[in-house]
Amino acid sequence: MVELRERAFVVMMYTVLVIFALVCFLPFWLVIINSFATETSIQTQGYQFFPRSFSLSAYEYLFSGKQLFNSYKVTLFVTTVGTLLAVFTTATYAYTLSHPRVKYRNILSFLTYFTMLFGAGLVGFYMLIANWLGLKDSIWALILPYLLNPFYAFILVSYFRTLPFEMNEAATVDGANDLVIFFRVIWPISTPIIATVSLFYALSYWNDWWLSLLFVDNYKLHPLQMMIRQLMSNLNAKAYVAGSGTNYNIVVPTLGMQLAIVCVTIGPILFVYPFIQKYFVKGITIGAVKG
Amino acid sequence: MKWQRRFGRGVVAEFSKNRYLYLLALPGTLFLIVFAYIPMSAHLLAFKDFRLSDRLWGSKWVGFDNFRYFFSGNDWLRVTYNTLFLNGLFLVFGLGFAVMLAIFLSEVMSPLFKRVAQSFVFLPYFISWIVISMMTQALFSTSEGIINKTLNSLGFEGVEWYLTPSVWPAILTIIYIWKFAGYNSIIFLAGITGISPEYYESAKLEGATRFQQIIYITLPLLRPIILLMLLLGVGRIFYGDFGMIYAIVGDIGVLYPTTDVIDTFAYRALRQLGNFSTSSAVVLYQSVMGLITVVIFNAIAKRIDTDSRLF
Repeated sequence: MVELRERAFVVMMYTVLVIFALVCFLPFWLVIINSFATETSIQTQGYQFFPRSFSLSAYEYLFSGKQLFNSYKVTLFVTTVGTLLAVFTTATYAYTLSHPRVKYRNILSFLTYFTMLFGAGLVGFYMLIANWLGLKDSIWALILPYLLNPFYAFILVSYFRTLPFEMNEAATVDGANDLVIFFRVIWPISTPIIATVSLFYALSYWNDWWLSLLFVDNYKLHPLQMMIRQLMSNLNAKAYVAGSGTNYNIVVPTLGMQLAIVCVTIGPILFVYPFIQKYFVKGITIGAVKG
Repeated sequence: MKWQRRFGRGVVAEFSKNRYLYLLALPGTLFLIVFAYIPMSAHLLAFKDFRLSDRLWGSKWVGFDNFRYFFSGNDWLRVTYNTLFLNGLFLVFGLGFAVMLAIFLSEVMSPLFKRVAQSFVFLPYFISWIVISMMTQALFSTSEGIINKTLNSLGFEGVEWYLTPSVWPAILTIIYIWKFAGYNSIIFLAGITGISPEYYESAKLEGATRFQQIIYITLPLLRPIILLMLLLGVGRIFYGDFGMIYAIVGDIGVLYPTTDVIDTFAYRALRQLGNFSTSSAVVLYQSVMGLITVVIFNAIAKRIDTDSRLF
């Protein structure tokens, strides 16, 4: 009796896991497979798990315009430059916060933590970027606001604290100052955790559309995510995407194009996912320990 | 003043002694001052009649007029209720499901199955809300959506999902679970891995079933982590996920009764109506309530379990 119930429980657990894993995957499948369906079949039969038609026209249309390349360039620039700057800002700041010789580290920690409790809110943030810094329609509006995430800073602080301080003292005896110690000793041995935090930053830059929604009206500066949004809400998708020589008799594959751009956007993430997944797991596990 | 001089000298001495360390912290400090502390001054707008031409300091003080305006209508009740209700659903069901997922994953014996399953459930975390809103449309769109097509083929009539407010709390909760269950489960899995195997061994000797082991060993030992996650969530309960709600539901007025949260309300007031003062009043209300919640729940946590407190 107990044996039977035990076995039933195990079967139930595996069933739940398999079903949930499938549920997590199916929307991806749906988007990818339907991006290859013809526009007419989507319109008449709807999105299908196994569409019977095949067409590349959504991609052809997408690649024929300039907007995709513009947006890709913007996203790549924002992600690369943003991640580099953010990691530098966060790591240097976190190192000072973690350093036992810094007398005001607790004040700095509290001031950092306080920003997580009480923010400026939307209005202050908007006025800062748009009116005071004058960054409306500037690519820096998509980069600067994310340069220091207190949560990632505290992940780094708790890592730096685990490093033996004797190393620091030895380097001081050898005549190195704190700058040299940080860049020549601490930074190299912290590569794994710095890589992890870099990935977190890269993901948030890659996926961001909020900043462009608020601050970028010029479509030439729209990143990929904003492009998807425009294609979803903009009835005049043709004008947004098409290049020169548009033939107005062609049916614009609006629905297909939405799916195609999604595939183009998540493609790189899916591609590197198997390699980077374990770093994220590491980051989350360390992050769970409070800073 | 002797103490002031001593204090001043102490500060100077500290900065010169550790000048390179403070230099390292300079970019981060500047960032916090510019991007976190200076914009806080905009909270003052909540007490002013703001016109762009007058700038922040030139505008007229109006006392609590903006708050009176905000609190006189029913909007504030609706957005507050929706924010708390949706976040409550996300917290309870999101964390509950993540705990279950972590426990089930930890019970899996085959490392291959575990790795594959974990990769799949973690995948949605990497996708932006915009992409998720695209997927949501593929499922729920009235004319092309899979769900309505399936309903039709089974002989039922389709539902106009995007015109039916009552279904959205459930849909949003499911989407939240979908996106974050894998991510949150990793934190709980780490906690489960930390439990000493001796507990389970002695339980097995006593004849405990797997289910009993989960109820009497795993869950109680996970309690501090669950409590901590809950507290972190409660602290943010006044903040709706703007990215999520705005991407998925957007500006569909019909759905405001169940989906309009403080953040989307403030966004509309600011960007569409250009009403900085109202928006500021809303945002200040949100920030203050948020701060009070964190402080209260931290005090409660301290009383229940000293290890779970946030500060």
